[in-house]
Amino acid sequence: MWVWFSKLGSPKWFYELSGKWLPWLIAAMVIFMTIGLVWGLVFLPPDYQQGFTSRILIVHVAVAGTSLAFFPLMLVAGTITLVWRMKLADMVAKHAAILGAWFSFITLATGSLWGSVMWGTWWEWTDSRLVSMLFQLFLLLGVISLRSALEDSETAAKACALLSIVGCINVVIIKYSVEWWNTLHQVASPVSLDPSSPNGPQFWIATLIMIVAVYLFLSVSLILSTRNEILERERRSQWVQDLVLKN
Amino acid sequence: MTEKQTTTSAAFLATLKRDLLIAFKKKNDIVNPFMFFIIVVSLFPIGISPESDRLTEIAAGVIWISVLLASMLSMDNLYRSDFEDGSLEQLLLSPHPLFFLVLAKNISHWLVSGLPVVLVSPILAYMLALPTEAYGTLVLSLLLGTPIMSLVGSIAVALTVGLGSRGLILAVITLPMSVPVLIFGTLAVQSTLNSQSPVGYLSLMLVMLSVSVSLAPLASAAALKISVN
Repeated sequence: MWVWFSKLGSPKWFYELSGKWLPWLIAAMVIFMTIGLVWGLVFLPPDYQQGFTSRILIVHVAVAGTSLAFFPLMLVAGTITLVWRMKLADMVAKHAAILGAWFSFITLATGSLWGSVMWGTWWEWTDSRLVSMLFQLFLLLGVISLRSALEDSETAAKACALLSIVGCINVVIIKYSVEWWNTLHQVASPVSLDPSSPNGPQFWIATLIMIVAVYLFLSVSLILSTRNEILERERRSQWVQDLVLKN
Repeated sequence: MTEKQTTTSAAFLATLKRDLLIAFKKKNDIVNPFMFFIIVVSLFPIGISPESDRLTEIAAGVIWISVLLASMLSMDNLYRSDFEDGSLEQLLLSPHPLFFLVLAKNISHWLVSGLPVVLVSPILAYMLALPTEAYGTLVLSLLLGTPIMSLVGSIAVALTVGLGSRGLILAVITLPMSVPVLIFGTLAVQSTLNSQSPVGYLSLMLVMLSVSVSLAPLASAAALKISVN
């Protein structure tokens, strides 16, 4: 097990292995994404209350669910960086922060679009999920700006790892305290999606397919950007130069 | 020559004393954030409304946010001058657990920057027309909240101490983390104003304080080791 683990830390090994995975992952992503998007945006019947607006939620719920995975991912990657000094973990963490910020932003944007129709407003402070997503975005931007401020890549790796761990703990505390703040201040109750809505299971199956599709998209983009990072950081090593010559 | 043995508690007290002494010699570092705090608070009535009804509503939030901003300013000095003159490296080399030395630095920082703000807050609360019955809660919530900010902010300061031009990165990292403190601090005051008991919120802040006292110096110490090679 430990051999496998230390092997995983080698950028070269990861580069080769991920090269074999990538076509399969992309194929699966395309299939799920097509089914989810076409079904969700074209064929899904209108919600009995929300009308066609509910179709925004197919994308929104999938992206929002996925964007919650980034801080735990960075927590794990950060711990590996600090404990085992694995370079690969830091490369993943670097791009996880950037992708996480994008996902949080898209979650906020699609949520605003949906809210502008359903709530009649683009922004609603009384919705705790909106507010905690905003602060997750801020924390991720903090990690990104710390990395870009630190010049030495090893210091940056360790500093960002530590900040990710602190940030992950913080995001949980923020989420619960914002919820608390809300339940007391809430005047108008925001429309929430009742899982037992009379829409039948198809809405949920479509959402589920989209969630799988977005997770696949996340893995594909994370792997692609990590591969890029590997080539850039290892550009002086022999195997990268061989690779470049071969192509 | 016999080597003099020091206990950890002696090292803790020595660090605390040294930092307080330096703070009193460089009064600018204490006075400026404090003045900043008072000026920011006084700008709100001018910018929003001089009516006391309006001010009562925003008083707690204004004081809390100004405290957050002022603590950002004062935090900048926490490790910087020590880093520049090399005494931070001596601190890292010392045989005593870094946890306690960092804690001593954080306590001294709070004593010179947090405590004055807490003490002056009733006067500002009066100027912002906060009803008298909420003064106690405001002071208590600040008393519990400002050390949390010193302790948590210390992690970010330690991470950025090696940066030549750090600009506002400290605020970008730390301010989002202070959301829970801000929420509970202002909720405690609000609940007093609605004649409810603030004890629940204050005890939650006490929990956050005890968690930060036990964990934040660990993270700060790790961050210092990362920043100082």
